[in-house]
Amino acid sequence: MARSWIAVAACLTFQAVALIAQQSSRPPPWKEKPEKLRLVAGMDCLYQRDLSSPITSVQLFIPGGKSAVPGGKDGLSYLATRLTLEIPDLSVAQDVMFHGTRMDVAVFEDCSVVGVECFSENLDDALRVVSKIVQDPLFSGVRIDNIKNVMSIYGKAEEDEAAEAGQGAAMRVFFGGQGYGSALFGTEASLKAIGKKDIKAYYARFFTKGQVLFSVCSDLEKDKVRPLLERYFVKFKEPRAEDGLPPSPPSLPVDRTIVLDRDTKQTYVGRAFLLPPVTAGNWAKGYLLEVLLGKGPGSRLWDLRASGRLAYNVGARMTWMKTCGVLEAYLETEKEKKGQAVSALDETLRTLHEKGVTEEELRMTRSLARAQLLRANEAKKPRAQAMGVWEVLGLGFDYLSNVFDNIDAVTAAELNAFIKEVLDPDKSVLVLVGRTSLP
Amino acid sequence: MARIRKVLRLGIVFSVLALALPLISLKSQEESPGRSFVLPNGLNVFLYEKHDLPLVNIVVSVNAGSKDETDATNGIAHLLEHCLLFRGTGSRSGNEVSRDVRRHGAYFNANTGQDLTVFEISLPSGEADFALRNEKEVLFDFALTQADLDEEKAVVLEEMNQTDDDPQRHGMDLVMRCLFNGHPYGRPVYGRPDVVRAARVEELRDFHAKYYVPNNCALAAVGDFRSREMEERVRAIFGPLEKAGLEPASIAKARLLGKSVTCQEEKDVKEAYLFIAYIGPDCNHPDQYAMDLLTEALGRGFNPLLNIALRSRRDLVQNLNMAYIPGRFGGAVIVSLTLDPGNIAAATREALNYLRKSREENFSQDDFMGDEKYSVFDFLGSAKNRIRFSAEQAEESGLTLASSLARFMLQNERKDPGRFLDHIARTNSGDLRKAASVYFGKGQCAVISIVPKKAAEAGRKD
Repeated sequence: MARSWIAVAACLTFQAVALIAQQSSRPPPWKEKPEKLRLVAGMDCLYQRDLSSPITSVQLFIPGGKSAVPGGKDGLSYLATRLTLEIPDLSVAQDVMFHGTRMDVAVFEDCSVVGVECFSENLDDALRVVSKIVQDPLFSGVRIDNIKNVMSIYGKAEEDEAAEAGQGAAMRVFFGGQGYGSALFGTEASLKAIGKKDIKAYYARFFTKGQVLFSVCSDLEKDKVRPLLERYFVKFKEPRAEDGLPPSPPSLPVDRTIVLDRDTKQTYVGRAFLLPPVTAGNWAKGYLLEVLLGKGPGSRLWDLRASGRLAYNVGARMTWMKTCGVLEAYLETEKEKKGQAVSALDETLRTLHEKGVTEEELRMTRSLARAQLLRANEAKKPRAQAMGVWEVLGLGFDYLSNVFDNIDAVTAAELNAFIKEVLDPDKSVLVLVGRTSLP
Repeated sequence: MARIRKVLRLGIVFSVLALALPLISLKSQEESPGRSFVLPNGLNVFLYEKHDLPLVNIVVSVNAGSKDETDATNGIAHLLEHCLLFRGTGSRSGNEVSRDVRRHGAYFNANTGQDLTVFEISLPSGEADFALRNEKEVLFDFALTQADLDEEKAVVLEEMNQTDDDPQRHGMDLVMRCLFNGHPYGRPVYGRPDVVRAARVEELRDFHAKYYVPNNCALAAVGDFRSREMEERVRAIFGPLEKAGLEPASIAKARLLGKSVTCQEEKDVKEAYLFIAYIGPDCNHPDQYAMDLLTEALGRGFNPLLNIALRSRRDLVQNLNMAYIPGRFGGAVIVSLTLDPGNIAAATREALNYLRKSREENFSQDDFMGDEKYSVFDFLGSAKNRIRFSAEQAEESGLTLASSLARFMLQNERKDPGRFLDHIARTNSGDLRKAASVYFGKGQCAVISIVPKKAAEAGRKD
C-alpha cells in the first residue's frame, strides 16, 4: 500500500508540476476577491463582498492580544478590549440591539478583536455607536470591577472544560506564564493586580491610528462601507514611539509533564509540540498536519478511537503566533485507561515522526484540508476574522485566496521534513487533566 | 491559531435547533431557489441551490430516535447511528468508508435526538455523486458484525463519560429526564450504560429494519448544483430502495408538569450551574411562535427581562441564557444560569417568581399609552429583529440549512405551515402573555442544579 520513500521522492517533481497545472485551471472558490482599502485616516480595511445574506460583519483588529500581556497581569488584553464595548447609555445600547445588531470581543494570540454583525441596512447606526465607545471608552472603577467579575466566571467555566484547561496549561509552560502563556481571562491574583493605569496604558499603546485594522465581509459595495468607516473612525490617536516588549519566545520546560487534578470520569491526555515561526508554507504544512493527525474519521488519531477503544473525543489543534506555533494532539479517555492512552498516543505520534506520510495519505489529507477550510470560512464572520488574523500574523489578508495553492504545493517530502522537525518527542510536553492519582 | 470565547455556546446550539423548523418557509415560493418532491418509495426530498461556494451539503434525517426505544433498549438508536457511520457496510469496511470520505474531502457526521437521527455529509460540489451513494450505502446497507458493535460500544461509553463530566451537557440531560419523566422524551438519548454494554447485533438489526426505510426518511441537499441534475441523481440512487410498511409512532404529547421537580448533583466544578425548565409547545403547535419570541425577550440578547429581574436587587447570576427546544411531541423551555453556589436558592426564587408574573409583562411599546410608549424599550420588536437576523444568518451556512430542511420535512405535520417570519411578525404582546400564562403560570417546573463538591458539603453543614 505504502510507496517507498525513494519512489515518492522520484515522483515529486512530476507531481508538483501536475499539481500546479491542476491548480491553475481551478477557479478560485470565492466569488469576489478580497482586497485591502486604505482609509483616509491612515488605517487599512480588508474587504470582501459576499451576497449570501443581507448582513455585514465588521471585525476591528487591535494588535497586542495575549502577546502584549506582561507577567502577573493575565487577562489585561481581554479586559481592556471588553471595556471598549461598554455602552455608557443604556438607551443607546438598546437602540442598537433593537435592530438585532450583535457585538462581541475575542482575544487571539497577537491581537484582540471587536466584532459587529448587523443587517447591512443598519450598518450606519451600528458603526456610529460602536465607533463612539471604542474610540472614547470610559474606564471607570465600577465598569472595571464588573468586567473583572465576568472574566472570573469565564475563567472558571474554562477550567471546568478539560480540553480548554489542557491547552491553557501547555501554553503556560511553553511561555513561562506570561504573554502567549498568560491566562486569557486572568487569575484571581492577576485581576486584582490590574489597575486603571494598566488598562489606560494598554489602550493608549494599541488602539491607535496606525495599528487598528478593519476586516469586513458584506453584501454592500465597498463604496458604501468605506465612507462609513472613514466618517466614524477618525478619533484614534497616533501611535507612540515606544512600543513595549517583543513577544516572549517559547522555551521547553524542565519538567515536561503537567498534571491538573480533577475528580472526573475521564482524563484528558494531550501532547503539545512547538512549531517553527509562521510563514505561508509553514501555515499550510501545519494545517495539513493538524488535519492528518486529528480531523475526522480516518485521521491518525482516529485509530485510538475506532480500534483502540480508548476515547470518543480525539483531535489535534494548532495555534499560530507571530513567533511560533503550538500543536496539540489529544484524547479524552476513561480515567482507568490513562496509562494505556498515554502509550497509545505516544506510539501514534512516534510512528508518524519516524515513518512520515505516504503520497496517498497526503492526497487524501489535502482534499479534506481544502474542503475543511472552505467550510470553516463559509460564513461572513469567520471569514472576516481569518483575513484579519492572517494579516496580523504577517501572511497577508490575501492568504484567503492563495491558501489553497499553498496547501496544494506541499509535497510529501516537505511535509515529512516538517513532521520530523515538529513531532520530536524530546521537545514535547505531556498534559494530563483528570484523576491523575490512578496509574 | 486562536481561542474564541464561546460565551453563549449553549444558546447557539439551541438557536440552530430552533431554526430547524422555520427555515424552509423563510422565502415565498416565487423567490425560493428550492424544490421539493417525494419519490415513489416515500422518500421526501428537498433541493436548494446555493452557489456562494463550491460545496454541496447532503443531510438525511431518519424518523427514529430515543422516543422509539423502550427502557430495555434505551441507547440503541444512538448506538446504531455510531455503527452505521463508522463500522462499514455490506461492501466496505469502516476503515474503507473513512478513507473514501477523506479522499473526497468530506465532513461526515451524524447526531441522534429524541425524535430524529440525522446524517450529514458536506464536500466539494464535484463530489455530489459520491455523497449521495455514500449516504445511501451507509444508511441502508446494514452489515454490522458483533465484533464491530463491541468495538463501537466502548466509544459510546466514553462519550457518555464525557457528557457526564461536562456540567452543561450533563445538566441538560438531567433537565430532559426530570421534565419528561414518564414520557419517551425523558429517556436519555445516550442511553443506559448497561443496555449499551449488553446490546446485541440482532437488536440493532431489528431497529434498523423497522425505521431505516425510505418512507421514514427525508433528504435535503443544499449547495452548488443544478436542481434538475441533482433530482435525476437522487432518483437514480435512492429510487431503487423499497418502501416498507411502517406504523407511525403513537406517542402522546407531553403534558405540563403537575408537580415541580428538584434535583441537585455535586461535581468537581468551580461554578454552580442552575437549570429551570418548563414544558413548552411542540413544534407544530400555534403557540410556538409566541414561545420563540418569549424566549428571546426574557432570556436572550442584550440585557433581557429575566436578567434585569435577577439583577435588580442583588447581582444573583453571572451568566444567563434561555432556550426553547420544540420537539414533535412536546417542547422544553430552559433557563440556564451560571452563578455563585451561595446564590442558588435566591436566584431560583426570583426567577420562578418573575417567570410566573411574566404573563402580566408589557413586552411591546404598544402596551403603553401616550408619550410613555416612546420612552420604553420594545422587547417584542427587538426579539423579532433578532430572530430575523438569526434566520438570515443561517443562510450563510449550507450545512445548517440542509440540516434544518431535513428535520423540517419529518417534523412538520401541518398542511400549510406558512412562512415562519410572517408568523413571527404577526405575533403580538398579548400572545406572549398568553403563552407565559399557559406554560409558566399553570405548568410546574423542573429545577436542576450542579454544584461544586465543597459547596454542597458547606450547604449540608448549614
